Amino acid sequence: MLPHLDAAYNLARWLTRNDHDAEDVVQEAVLRAYRFLDGLRGEARPWLLAIVRNSCLSWLQVNRPADVAGFDERAIELHPTDQDGPDVLAARGLDRRMLNEAIAALPAQFREILVLRELEDLSYKEIARIAGVPIGTVMSRLSRARRLLAESLRAIANASESQVNK
Amino acid sequence: MTKDEAGRLLHAYVDGELDSARSLELERHLAESPALRAACERLRDLSSAIREKADYYPAPASLTGRLRASVPAAPVESAPRLRWPQWLRPVAALAAVAVLVWIAASGVMRPSENERLAQEVLASHVRATLSNRLYDVASSDQHTVKPWLSSRLAFSPPVADLSASGFELLGARPDYVGGQPVAVLAYRRRHHLIDVFIWPTESQSAARTLTRDGFNIERFARNGMSFWLISDLNRNELNDLAALLADHSAAP
Repeated sequence: MLPHLDAAYNLARWLTRNDHDAEDVVQEAVLRAYRFLDGLRGEARPWLLAIVRNSCLSWLQVNRPADVAGFDERAIELHPTDQDGPDVLAARGLDRRMLNEAIAALPAQFREILVLRELEDLSYKEIARIAGVPIGTVMSRLSRARRLLAESLRAIANASESQVNK
Repeated sequence: MTKDEAGRLLHAYVDGELDSARSLELERHLAESPALRAACERLRDLSSAIREKADYYPAPASLTGRLRASVPAAPVESAPRLRWPQWLRPVAALAAVAVLVWIAASGVMRPSENERLAQEVLASHVRATLSNRLYDVASSDQHTVKPWLSSRLAFSPPVADLSASGFELLGARPDYVGGQPVAVLAYRRRHHLIDVFIWPTESQSAARTLTRDGFNIERFARNGMSFWLISDLNRNELNDLAALLADHSAAP
């Protein structure tokens, strides 16, 4: 399973948002995964990521309960999007730091799904397995995650624009 | 697909998770709706922006080192094995079972050569009786039957008219048994039909009698020829015919 260590660490790092905590959680999760090697069904990467993901959530529940409060139930209010407004994303010059901050600011379940989909390039089916939810939930979470991120990027862009204009 | 559905399925479309039928349907919506096209573009932009610009955190060397130290050597070495496609495991298991079954079937379970011949002789005899096509050349004259067979086979079987002993020669037919063309002599005793299968062989073997499906079969090999007799005739009389044929084959 060591070949998938990068994927494991990347997910943990995004979920815990901290290098030190990510290392601790991954180390514990990988050692645990090794003990349950017999339980390995299907591909190794989703299997390991599911273990890492659950370890992260348990760790967050104990150490930062606010981060995962209402993880699965939380209703995210979406503001009606201004579809015809200036599109900040079309501009390829989207600031790297701005994007990373926006992702890091997303609620954990949306951060998680974006990392699994965009950074690990996992299929809906694999994500469903890792997160332990139906594929329909993966689809709705992913679309909400993208809308939230786009909104937050627009908000940041507008804020910096108005600052420049002042 | 309604407009709302098309909007909802846009993510699956951009992610390449939509089946081809619904992809085509969605593409029709895209062709008609500039707003949907713009939304699709925004999604693609967002997706590629995350892929290009979001931080990817590879495992730090300290963690990798610690794990290699704490996980025993075996799993580190066995790690590449995990990349082995998992579906191959049941396939490999099935293949192993198949190989074992094949070995067993071809070795232990395969009917012996003689059993296979017995089945073929039986089948030929029953087929000939059922279709009432016992012979292709009808003659009680061995001097007609023998050349007729010789001209059709790569060997010349001994043909005996044994009517004096109570076995009337009806005729002969060629057939195919044990992977080779064979001669079949048809005899009659009272109302019983007897087929005598003859083909060349290197070996000699004493007479053996067996019974299959109510038919008696007697076989022996002598003077370069293998003889298989099959009939619903009783064993003793079939033995008599076998003895007569053996004698006759010895003195051509």
